[in-house]
Amino acid sequence: MRRAAIFVALVVLAWTAWDTGADPVRLGRGIPWIADFVRRMLPPDLRVLPAALLGAIKTVEIALLGTAVAAVLALPLGFLSARNVAAPAIFHPARVALNFFRSVDTLVYALVFVAAVGLGPFPGVLAVVAYTTTSLAKLYSEAIEGIDRGPVDAITATGATRLQVLRFGVLPQVLPLFLSYVLYRLETNIRAATVLGFVGAGGIGFYLQTYLRMIDYPAASTVLLVTVAMVMVVDAISSRLRARLV
Amino acid sequence: MIEVAGLRVVLPPAVVAVDGIELTIASGEFVVILGRSGAGKTTFLRALNRLVEPTAGTVRVGGRAVTGADPATLRGLRRQIGMVFQQFNLVRRASVLDNVLAGRLGWARPLPTLLGRFGAEDRRIAHECLAQVGLADFAARRADTLSGGEQQRVAIARALAQAPSVILADEPTASLDPALTGSIMDLLKTINVRRGLTLIVSQHQLETALTYATRVIGFRRGRVVFDGAPSALTPQVAATIYGEHR
Repeated sequence: MRRAAIFVALVVLAWTAWDTGADPVRLGRGIPWIADFVRRMLPPDLRVLPAALLGAIKTVEIALLGTAVAAVLALPLGFLSARNVAAPAIFHPARVALNFFRSVDTLVYALVFVAAVGLGPFPGVLAVVAYTTTSLAKLYSEAIEGIDRGPVDAITATGATRLQVLRFGVLPQVLPLFLSYVLYRLETNIRAATVLGFVGAGGIGFYLQTYLRMIDYPAASTVLLVTVAMVMVVDAISSRLRARLV
Repeated sequence: MIEVAGLRVVLPPAVVAVDGIELTIASGEFVVILGRSGAGKTTFLRALNRLVEPTAGTVRVGGRAVTGADPATLRGLRRQIGMVFQQFNLVRRASVLDNVLAGRLGWARPLPTLLGRFGAEDRRIAHECLAQVGLADFAARRADTLSGGEQQRVAIARALAQAPSVILADEPTASLDPALTGSIMDLLKTINVRRGLTLIVSQHQLETALTYATRVIGFRRGRVVFDGAPSALTPQVAATIYGEHR
């Protein structure tokens, strides 16, 4: 059984390698070209630094606003898709809906929203909201399913209403986890938002794509460096905040 | 007064935890329910306020039916029935005062409580109940910074804040250092005597039952095998409750 599984896995991997044209020799031949690319990017053209910084700020704004709106929208969805809170008639469709909308990436949502509301950062925000709401709702619901039953019983026994039980028995247990998930999502959304500009949804990605198209590699490298710095700064702040939550 | 008739609780998949119990408990009694673990003590107590749904039979508290009550009536009845748990069941991350205030949920106006707001009267009662369990200075502390014995006192204060007529205590000393058993039982006894509350306390320790109870009810396999004054609890009776191996 196990040997058969390993054999099947190897066959599948071999086939994918053949079908995608994966070829180490070809990669080897490409290395000088990568080196050439890097050489042409240096030194970075710092004259575009102000533009790159403005783009970076816009990207952070897209991620921040999108994540914040999603964090709130995901709250009711999270409770509705938690097995131990919602009735099965609500929980099952909610789970299916979450998995459906979560299977589409932020970038794909951006394409849809650019078509709907036009170019600029706003469709980027909408795309971040669309993806993050469902992915956070899923994380929320798992946190809710993992709570300690005891305080819920205790609050129920006081004669509290269902909403009060959620507010006093469930919410205090899950809130730190929720905040930690939101910060984690913010980190991944910053990264996702850097490429939103490729499809016209605003932010630093727009500059990167523009300079690459204009074959202005020194300018593109400045944008890339700003992107790396931006992601690292946000990650550092966010992970420090997360460490204080638990 | 608490009247229990034909109470039967079958827990999934098919465990008969409580098997036909008939009892009347008068106001102001200090009843200790004695039995080995698994004798049905916990399930019986939880069926009294319907934290566990009875399979058959009726429970009446102060003349009003708990079994079959609609949600609003049930909440009103639960408000009269304070409950103390073996694991304290405090909201660990919340402050001591917030935990005690939860006891006011059945009385306070629901909407403000959802925002965490309680009226001046509710806060006064909460402080008073904390003082009564000897923890007046602990109001602002986080619940999980307290020792086990202190946490159980907070839980008792939460039950008192309900201004109940009955307190159900499910093995309130079982997760505590044996040295603390006396202080918690003394506190419950004080509440029983001073406030005239009915107490129904489950215990597996015979000596504790004999010291504090005005009436002992022996449970075995979901049935009452003894019901009488502590003085009537002979070694033979104890053997019936606890079975062959003590």
